[in-house]
Amino acid sequence: MVKLRLSGLNAVQRQSLVISLSAFFTGLLLIALISVLVLITARGGAYFWPKPIYSVALTPISPPALATDQVLPKEVASKEAAPKETTPQVETLLANVFDDEAKSEIRLKYADALNPYGAQLLVERERIKRIDLAKNSAEIKLNDGRQVMAVPENVVTPEGANIPLAKLPQIMDSVALISAEITKLNKQFLAPIHESLSRFDNRDVAADAPAREKLVAQFNEYQQRVRSLETQRDQYKLAVSFADGQPFSIPIFTIQSVDFVSRLTGFEKWQVAIGEVFVFLTESPKQANTSGGVFPALFGTVLMVFMMTIIVTPFGVMAAIYLSEYAPNTALTTIIRVSVSNMAGVPSIVYGVFGLGFFVYTLGGSIDSLFFSDTLPAPTMGSPGLFWAALTMAILTLPVVIVATEEGLRRVPEGLKAGSYALGATKIETIVRTILPIASPGIMTGVILAIARAAGEVAPLMLVGAVKFAPALPIDGEFPFLHLDRQFMHLGVLIYDSAFHSQTDAKSASMMFAACLLLLVVVFVLNILAVLLRTRLRKRYLKG
Amino acid sequence: MLKLFKHDIQPVNELTNAQSAVEVKDLNLWFGEKHVLKDITMRIPKNKVTALIGQSGCGKSTLINCFNRLNDLYDGCHYKGEVIIDGKDINSKKTNVSRLRAKVGMVFQRPNPFPMSIYENVCYGLKLQGVRVRRNLDDAVESALKQAALWDEVKDRLFEPAMTLSGGQQQRLVIARALSLKPEVLLLDEPTSALDPLTTLFIEELMDSLKKQCTIVIVTHNMQQAARVSDYTAFFHQGKLVEYADSDTLFTMPEKKQTEDYITGRYG
Repeated sequence: MVKLRLSGLNAVQRQSLVISLSAFFTGLLLIALISVLVLITARGGAYFWPKPIYSVALTPISPPALATDQVLPKEVASKEAAPKETTPQVETLLANVFDDEAKSEIRLKYADALNPYGAQLLVERERIKRIDLAKNSAEIKLNDGRQVMAVPENVVTPEGANIPLAKLPQIMDSVALISAEITKLNKQFLAPIHESLSRFDNRDVAADAPAREKLVAQFNEYQQRVRSLETQRDQYKLAVSFADGQPFSIPIFTIQSVDFVSRLTGFEKWQVAIGEVFVFLTESPKQANTSGGVFPALFGTVLMVFMMTIIVTPFGVMAAIYLSEYAPNTALTTIIRVSVSNMAGVPSIVYGVFGLGFFVYTLGGSIDSLFFSDTLPAPTMGSPGLFWAALTMAILTLPVVIVATEEGLRRVPEGLKAGSYALGATKIETIVRTILPIASPGIMTGVILAIARAAGEVAPLMLVGAVKFAPALPIDGEFPFLHLDRQFMHLGVLIYDSAFHSQTDAKSASMMFAACLLLLVVVFVLNILAVLLRTRLRKRYLKG
Repeated sequence: MLKLFKHDIQPVNELTNAQSAVEVKDLNLWFGEKHVLKDITMRIPKNKVTALIGQSGCGKSTLINCFNRLNDLYDGCHYKGEVIIDGKDINSKKTNVSRLRAKVGMVFQRPNPFPMSIYENVCYGLKLQGVRVRRNLDDAVESALKQAALWDEVKDRLFEPAMTLSGGQQQRLVIARALSLKPEVLLLDEPTSALDPLTTLFIEELMDSLKKQCTIVIVTHNMQQAARVSDYTAFFHQGKLVEYADSDTLFTMPEKKQTEDYITGRYG
């Protein structure tokens, strides 16, 4: 031990110095923790808060301004004659303003005729002439996750009539009815007819067989109806204009909501924010995980953690019981114990590689060749999926559960064990009836640690089943309801993905923070549940 | 003079098989290399209270642990010799240890109620024996608690956690727990050393009433207690049985010098 020789200080002063130092470092730790929480909460919360739209007046630029970041998704870019990397040639812009006082530039997220779905621009402060709240402009959210910032003018009907904006809600309702009709036709008629047609084709029915021809005719008839409805639907449009007066029109059926964000009162802002939170929690990601919601990721995370808990708890508890109650006190047992504790320190990516190599390829491959040989070479269990991910995480968290459970078992007083034996209980009866209940708070501690670790782990998951985008949830109405072989989305993976691919876009960057916030909340809620359970068990079995 | 009033006390060497509850023959016990019990031979009389006294570490507790084979729990413990209960050597391999322990109840130095309700504590042993009928359990719990003189204090709170009871109540609960199995022999390992004098008195009275139903063996450090409650007393020293006689004789006219020194407090 280092001896503190501080000349001129007496014992009391030395002691108070030590106390102040430890208090100081505790304080530092606390500050670090709080700043993480505050940052995540502030940045994550900002994602939901409606941002007012300003009309920003700029001095014209002679040399092109600093590079703008083109955030248009590829398919849009190709469809709409690829808008070039340009800076707007206009003097006024409709934009969200992200003003960081510390920087000499202001970040604008603007929309104009060239970039109707938004682009970003960094502007030097001196170039900005004035910023006004654009009360007339609205944030128009589209169904595909994109959004348009513009001033809505009027509604255009198929007949070419211009209807005032006030009627927009009714028009949107009637368009929704048409859309519903189209969906119904597709589902009820077109899909079944198509299915029977393909069945005919599979059986090599002649192309001119009467039954087939009748079906084709029906198909064409329904398709005709769908087409005409679609044309009708597409002709309802919302005419908008940008700051420079350029017109733009948006098909009404693609519109999810129109918010006049600059006009909102405080209460309405809360309403919009809560609506955003709801969308965030319940919808699928859109536009390559940059907008929309994170429901599949939330669902996948919670489901994976639950499955992991169900797998790891019995394994860990049984291993701990063997080690602490049955294993002879030999060098081998000591080696096993030390290895178990050391396994907790193995980097998680190693577990990921192990899961991929052993579970997915070896185990999954064997299962495929034994039970699903008819679908080979397409793998069923032999590809990364939910079950292998849960299993890998269970292996990863096993040491934590074993160590904590052993600690709990060791804390059971010898007197209680002897009391149980003295009443004629066998070893297994004593374990089940006395030792396990008393050790249950310790076991819960292990499970809590395991949950916290598993919910936050990303690296191994990317190897064994978590993906950026999964087309379907692992649970649905189709037998066997829980699809263990499906790949799933995970909040951690989503955050990782957004952090690396969308840094440039303010909206998706804050979606990453919002996902962080949600992940924190998930871990927190799971922990709180486990702690509550532990407190109950403790009350029941320890305090008496 | 005292003997005039205690006609039923028989000298230990005159006890017959029928009169003895536990018979120990040439018992030797080792913990690893350490020879803890050396050639113990004694008979514990039926329906009497027998006290085992001696210094700490002299093997008294180890001896009573031999009566329900609780020493099996400790690593490195091995023993030779016979302990006969109900005409059978319990040290034989054929013994059903669970059944033996149900027949030979034990109460420990520190009260060790399980972290369950009072009711659950008392029927722990019964449930292990396969008693499942609620009515039978209720009856057994009531009678055991009454025998342990705890019923009146806890009858309204049977389903409260046992840990809420006071130390003395906990010890009586543990006694009730042992009694619920209707044991033939009740082993008490310093049952009052962690209790206050009043509760001690209470438990001593309890022993007196219990000996009608079962044989009681008590390990104690308290000489007065041994003299008060026991009919017979055995004095141990360093693993050997030094002197064993009815309590009146042992405490008034000990044969051995060692015994006299110990009971008069000259050493130990």
